[in-house]
Amino acid sequence: MEEKTKGAIRAGVILAFVAVVIGLLIYSRIVAYSMAPQSKPIDLRPLPLWEIPIVYLIDYFSHGTICLLFAFTVAGLIYEFVPKEAITKYMGSSKAVGYALALGMAPFLTVCSCTMVPLFGGVLYAGAGIGPAITFLLMAPAANILTILLTGEMISWEVAGIRIIASATTALVAGIIISKTPWGKAVEKEHQIANAASAKVEIVKPPLDERLWAALKFAGYLAKQILPFFIIGLIAVSYVEAFLPEDIVGTYLTGVTGILIASVLGGPLYTPTLVEVVLGKAMWDLGMSKGALLSWLMGQPYDVANAMAVSRIAKWKVVLTYMFIAWAGSVAFGLLYGVLSGSL
Amino acid sequence: MKEVKVEVIGTEPPCMRCQATRKAVEKAAVKLKQAGVMVNIEKANIMSKEVVQKYGVLVSPAVAINNTVKIMGRVPSPEEVEKLIMEEAK
Repeated sequence: MEEKTKGAIRAGVILAFVAVVIGLLIYSRIVAYSMAPQSKPIDLRPLPLWEIPIVYLIDYFSHGTICLLFAFTVAGLIYEFVPKEAITKYMGSSKAVGYALALGMAPFLTVCSCTMVPLFGGVLYAGAGIGPAITFLLMAPAANILTILLTGEMISWEVAGIRIIASATTALVAGIIISKTPWGKAVEKEHQIANAASAKVEIVKPPLDERLWAALKFAGYLAKQILPFFIIGLIAVSYVEAFLPEDIVGTYLTGVTGILIASVLGGPLYTPTLVEVVLGKAMWDLGMSKGALLSWLMGQPYDVANAMAVSRIAKWKVVLTYMFIAWAGSVAFGLLYGVLSGSL
Repeated sequence: MKEVKVEVIGTEPPCMRCQATRKAVEKAAVKLKQAGVMVNIEKANIMSKEVVQKYGVLVSPAVAINNTVKIMGRVPSPEEVEKLIMEEAK
């Protein structure tokens, strides 16, 4: 009995912390406090070189801390409480279910990149086939909860929403097309195994307070993994903001050329998770069009590091096909969004 | 002396969370040895066909005790692993 009371108190304390984090975000929304840094190029340019990143970082963290705290906490909670058994149980059952699960679950399961490629392999082997596996692979980095939360808070929820829809459509199309190609089918045949599942999976659920604590610990782990790169990224962004002339952005990052350039830069230029959002925001401030911004943000799934890991399982032909489709998708949606929003 | 087989299923090369899981299992094994339970720790690669054939799709890191996956997608504490193995050894 006493153990139970202790557990309930622990759970209560953690829930209170979560409530405070969410409350802070709502409060900042009510008072219309901006989550994005306020530095304009004009403020940064006259500063000595060494001072630029310091001013920018102080500016960023004085505004963005609540947002980061919220993003990591929510990511940790969702990752802990999302029913992971669902994906493992039903992934192999049928193509349609496979695609739906890949789209629906990928954003929640893959805040940690180390789980993504193994899951891709697992999904491929277990009989769902190459289509859902590719869909999963593309959807995961393009629309995971951390990036979506940050895109929404720092840029706008309109862009974040469109990013989800555009990424999902592209991922689905890529999966279906690759499952129809001869080389895609070859990979599928090579890897498919009879899924007899001779052994059982019986997940043990620990009590609520332990799960909540595990969620916060995972949030801390994510922060430890991502923040060092994020800070280095922010330093780079501060120089971009200060020294990239507006007329260059205006010439090269608007219109159809802008979308093409942004989509090509977004991929191979491997930006650490979340930095692409801040860098996108900086270039947007400098005059990049909304269409090019979307193309830039969608450029994540075909980065080189990712492709290398996947090519160890699938053939290069498959990797090149999905990279091409992902790139084409980012261009198509960039153009469409640019035209529709009147910011090409 | 009772014997229990514990598989730590993770990525190859091991990711940080898989290593943490293995450490937790090792800690539990040391304690259980004093209690008279022999724990055989095996490392399994989540991407190998044998593992997928046996268990289906898993989220790393996972822990299977006597061929049943009990923990998936999270790092357990040594105490929790100890408790689970004890239940199995009874």
